[in-house]
Amino acid sequence: MKSLKIISIIILIVALACVPVVIKKDSIITLLIMILLYVILATSWNILGGYTGQTSLGHAAFFGLGSLVTRLLWIKGVHILPSILAGSLLAVAFALLIGAPAFRLKGVYFAIGTLALAEILNVTVGNMFPEISSLPVKELVAYQLAPRYYAILGMAVFVVGCSYLLVNSRVGLGMMAVREQEDAAESLGVSALKHKLIALGVSAFFTGLAGGAFAFYHVGYYYQYPFSPSWSLDMLTMVYIGGQGTILGPIIGAVFFVVLRQYLVLNVGEYHMIIFGVLFILVVLFLPGGIVSLWSRLQKALFRRSKSNAIKRSPDVEG
Amino acid sequence: MLKVNNVNAFYGDLQALWGISLEINDGELVALVGPNGAGKTTTLKVITGLLPYASGMVNFNAHDLHRMPSHKIVEFGISQVPEGGRVFAGMTVLENLELGAFVSTARKVKDQTLKWVFEIFPRLQERKGQQAGTLSGGERQMLAIGRALMSKPKLLLLDEPSFGLAPILVQQMFEMIAEINRQGVTVLLVEQNVRAALELAQRAYVIENGRVVGEGKGDSLLSFESIRAAYLG
Amino acid sequence: MIEAVAQNLVIGILLGALYGLAAVGIAMVFGVTKFLNVAHGELLMFGGYATFWLFNLLGLDPFLSLPLTILFLLLIGVVLYQLLFVRMVKLPEEEKIKNTMLIGFGLTLILQNIALNLWTANDRGVTTSYASEAFTWLGVRFPYVRLAGLVISLVCLFALQQFLRKTYIGKAIRATTEDWEAASLVGIDVHKVYLISFLLGTALAGVAGALVLVSYSVSPSIGLHWTLKSLIVMVLGGVGNFMGTFVGGILLGATESATAFFISGNYREVVGLILFLLILIFKPQGLFGAKER
Repeated sequence: MKSLKIISIIILIVALACVPVVIKKDSIITLLIMILLYVILATSWNILGGYTGQTSLGHAAFFGLGSLVTRLLWIKGVHILPSILAGSLLAVAFALLIGAPAFRLKGVYFAIGTLALAEILNVTVGNMFPEISSLPVKELVAYQLAPRYYAILGMAVFVVGCSYLLVNSRVGLGMMAVREQEDAAESLGVSALKHKLIALGVSAFFTGLAGGAFAFYHVGYYYQYPFSPSWSLDMLTMVYIGGQGTILGPIIGAVFFVVLRQYLVLNVGEYHMIIFGVLFILVVLFLPGGIVSLWSRLQKALFRRSKSNAIKRSPDVEG
Repeated sequence: MLKVNNVNAFYGDLQALWGISLEINDGELVALVGPNGAGKTTTLKVITGLLPYASGMVNFNAHDLHRMPSHKIVEFGISQVPEGGRVFAGMTVLENLELGAFVSTARKVKDQTLKWVFEIFPRLQERKGQQAGTLSGGERQMLAIGRALMSKPKLLLLDEPSFGLAPILVQQMFEMIAEINRQGVTVLLVEQNVRAALELAQRAYVIENGRVVGEGKGDSLLSFESIRAAYLG
Repeated sequence: MIEAVAQNLVIGILLGALYGLAAVGIAMVFGVTKFLNVAHGELLMFGGYATFWLFNLLGLDPFLSLPLTILFLLLIGVVLYQLLFVRMVKLPEEEKIKNTMLIGFGLTLILQNIALNLWTANDRGVTTSYASEAFTWLGVRFPYVRLAGLVISLVCLFALQQFLRKTYIGKAIRATTEDWEAASLVGIDVHKVYLISFLLGTALAGVAGALVLVSYSVSPSIGLHWTLKSLIVMVLGGVGNFMGTFVGGILLGATESATAFFISGNYREVVGLILFLLILIFKPQGLFGAKER
């Protein structure tokens, strides 16, 4: 079973790698780049939000910082790769700086606190860099879609892969323990703060990478744009729709999110946001575990029907 | 008065009650005893509608209580004192009691009922302006029972009223419960304090692992392992 | 100079009253039901538009049309509650908060775009005959319109407090907030309590929206901004203490104004947000909130 999974993943990656060679339509490659970018964002957010249970509404800060630093360095002539790395590291530094005080807040307070924090950066960056960031002529001329595609594909594979490894490690177990019952975890010797900080750092790093990819990909954009809170909300949305706390969930959520939005924009025009909102609400109401849970629900439904009056041993329930 | 027939109840996928049946007649004081986690509180939750049941029947004075919301069940005359009392800590004793008479039938006669409750629990009258959260454990329990009485219940469900109380208070508590029963309120008493419960009640059911395993008067119940353990242990 | 500072402070406080009112609305809902309705700002926006159209189509004074605006918002509230939020009532607290937040997000998309499609993205405002009048005291102007905003906000706050403290239903709401299962057991219909609380919050959003329209302007995009402000002020003041929430709003408004005056208009939000975060760090339960943990 497991080898089947690995083989299918490899086939998928190879197939994706072949796309620019086989398909010459720029719009398809652009769409895939968007999907991959959102996959990275969703997967990153999920590490802190889905696995560690800390709902952040401020991830746009990391996305923004990553893109800002990357762009500024790259325009100055630094090679793109160290630029992206620098951007991501700054995002992590910022995350760790605010991490300890931020985690004094719990639940809703943490969410609103991160939102406020990201807004501070949003407004500040908007004031310091109000202009559009344009590429120098040298880069404009040399602009090609393919290298961007491969860069972001590589990034996506890296991020998803690391996410998988992290989640299946001891640290990952600790993170999930913190999510389920923080106090109980503490009493078992699992340092809640340490695990939250690790999750935050990793999450910020990956989100920063995405920011760097964003800066690499776009020809021109407002420096402030990646700091917009809508990015944070999108990340949260994708993860919940796809299924939080799973590896596959954010990926499905991202694909669903981007493709659906594209489809609606093209076909329904002005009302696309309304329909999107309605669909989103429907998923929240009727699929609380996300799309990923559809599969397990189907299994359960079929399973229950075929079983006839099974006697289940019930452990002692509170009486 | 109350007929519970073959009720099965689940917490999600976990079955908690297996074919529970019991009967309470007008004016009785019946006890429901059993070890921790046996399903006593769950049974009460099923009766008062806090937990829906999957199959079986709960009948109160010929009314089928299936799928009835909890607040409606109170209107029919069943009132529960949940485990720990769960008084409204941020409100005064008086406000707690007044809220107990929330249902319209009780609201009309609120003042009379209040007098009655104060007779049974004079301590509450002394403390009527005090915030419920500042009361002692025993007083809070009294308040919880008083609050439940405010709805003029025909059937009063008590979930471990003696829990956490000092032994002297436990004695007083049970005396008050007996008095309430004498004044015409049918009582279903869930208790871990088996000895006191069996002394107090006319009849008792024994529940273990979500099943009713016995019924009878005090002595006949001693044959059950768990009961004996409770007496000797 | 002193006059300029005082004037600035006054405008800030008057704005802060609107922050406070909006925040009490969202706090009302969240405190009782634990629904985090992030579409609160959009409801406020709709309140503004309702007042706008009543003024433009029927010539109704924006203050006199408040009851109608409230009615309109109540209708919207009932529909939203029965359609969406009612399913969230029995969920455990954390799930309730998360799910209602998500539903709120969906609603912001829908409501914002309905407004956009119906009324365009243009800013809307109303200018009454008395719009530019003010009374002056010690050299400081108190515009009537904004002063009315403060008065109305205080009236709403006071009415709410009295309702919760003195009326039977108000007490039932407080009891449900503390322990909804125990409330059910004394015969309180939790669904009704939730609905009433939700509608109260919606109504307050509507009033706030009307006041925002009159004092400033509305457009379809103001929703997110006002939701953010409401959330910040709610947390700042401490959930469960409406007076505290209101004071928090005034504080934020004053801080923003002072920042704009002494530092720069561009950073008016930033200082307020920083202050908010600092207070949260040292007092996680808010300025006036009860210590929970």
